[in-house]
Amino acid sequence: MNISNYDWGLIWENHGVLLNGLLVALQVSVIALVISIFGGLLLAVMRLSKPPVSWIAVAYINVFRGVPALVSVIWVYFGVALLLGVNFTVFQAGVIALSLLYSAFMAEIFRSALGAIPPGHREAGQALGMRGTRIFFSVVLPQAIKIALPNIGSMFIGMVKDTSTFTVIGLLEVVRVTQNLVSQSFQPFVLYTAAAAIYVLAAFVIDILFRLVEGAYASPPRGAVSRVLRSRKRQRIQQLMAEVGP
Amino acid sequence: MSGLNTGEPVSDEVSAANQAAPVIQLRGLRKSFGDLEVLRGIDLDVVTGQHVVIFGPSGSGKSTMLRSLNMLEQPTAGSLKVDGVEYGPGLPDDREAKRGKVLDLRRTVGMVFQQFNLFPHLTALDNVALPLRSVRGLKGAAAQLKAAEALRRVGLLQRAAHYPQQLSGGQQQRVAIARALAMDPKVMLFDEPTSALDPELVGEVLKTMREVAETGMTMVVVTHELGFAKEIGDLNVFMEDGLVVESGPRGFFENCVSPRAREFILAVR
Repeated sequence: MNISNYDWGLIWENHGVLLNGLLVALQVSVIALVISIFGGLLLAVMRLSKPPVSWIAVAYINVFRGVPALVSVIWVYFGVALLLGVNFTVFQAGVIALSLLYSAFMAEIFRSALGAIPPGHREAGQALGMRGTRIFFSVVLPQAIKIALPNIGSMFIGMVKDTSTFTVIGLLEVVRVTQNLVSQSFQPFVLYTAAAAIYVLAAFVIDILFRLVEGAYASPPRGAVSRVLRSRKRQRIQQLMAEVGP
Repeated sequence: MSGLNTGEPVSDEVSAANQAAPVIQLRGLRKSFGDLEVLRGIDLDVVTGQHVVIFGPSGSGKSTMLRSLNMLEQPTAGSLKVDGVEYGPGLPDDREAKRGKVLDLRRTVGMVFQQFNLFPHLTALDNVALPLRSVRGLKGAAAQLKAAEALRRVGLLQRAAHYPQQLSGGQQQRVAIARALAMDPKVMLFDEPTSALDPELVGEVLKTMREVAETGMTMVVVTHELGFAKEIGDLNVFMEDGLVVESGPRGFFENCVSPRAREFILAVR
């Protein structure tokens, strides 16, 4: 087969289906991202707590960090149905499988981020008479999220890629869509190249989005949106300065 | 009581003159970290409006003592009374006494740290306003107004929108002072507030502290700045090895009698 036999036009003809696959992959990943951020945060706090609680977190993290996405989703989709008689849709199974795995990774990200906050900041909160929960949510967590953001971004790219294994339960994500097209057109090289390009582009866009969020979260914030917000803040401070006097 | 506690009668005199109980009263305060006893029985009285200066070599327990005044360190034994309320383990003879809540203690006593400990993700204004909202329960606008007033007091209202990393060390420490002051504490604790500063920035922080002292604020200051200590110290306390070696009123730096205190003062100067 020589290069002229490749029908590159196939990609454009099928771009709607392919992008729909990406949309499904992103939907599963975004929902799983939100769940695993909360799950990971909870696990990280448990991991940093006293022994009986921390052991549960350690056990969870070590088990689920080691399970491949492919195995996880088969287990959730078929295993849970067998064991408990609960039938998830392929979409639900994908979300659950990803959330289970990535909560474990997020837990480690948050654990190191929480550990990176200087103890002096907690002490300052204590010395000001703030309650422990208040110190956690107003002083420690915002800083930890800032530290964790770049790693969360990388994790999210990993999640999108891991949805490719959900083809095994028939989720119509990018790889499944590609396989279907290949079985009709017998052009695997062209179509898998398109699939690869879609993943690379998605990763690139996600990276840019996370950089924007990082910028907005920086102190001082960077980026256009934060500039607008900051100018309002500055106006408020000008107003305060007028009220308070010299 | 151990060492040459020549300062004791003086603070008694002052409190007798004020006809008031001391705002802070330590009796036999002890603190151990494992096998290491860092405080070995501290007695101290601080009356309202008094400026207490604590100095001594590193490892003498002065920071630990200061940090136990707001229970950032839990004393192992002894009595810590603030405003007449017992917060420490108490003396052997009053085990039954009611204990105050640590949160209430910390809402009475403000603290300034060596490392400033501003919240880096908040502007100077929000650093001051956050505890006003979450501890004093002020609403957003009222908290901001009060925070702005506190920043004006330390001369940093112009920097209200800046983040800590955009401020010099001296400015950060002044914001930290404003943050503590805004809570209207009865006592301000200063834990080596100028030790982490570049030499040229020490002056502005000392100036701010001097201004706080002039308002009549009760202050307990751990410092190596003996010049400043000499200037504001109503009660000067020299500590070594977890004990108060000697303490005394103004003129202490010229008149102290214990050889260790004299040696230390000479060495620092």
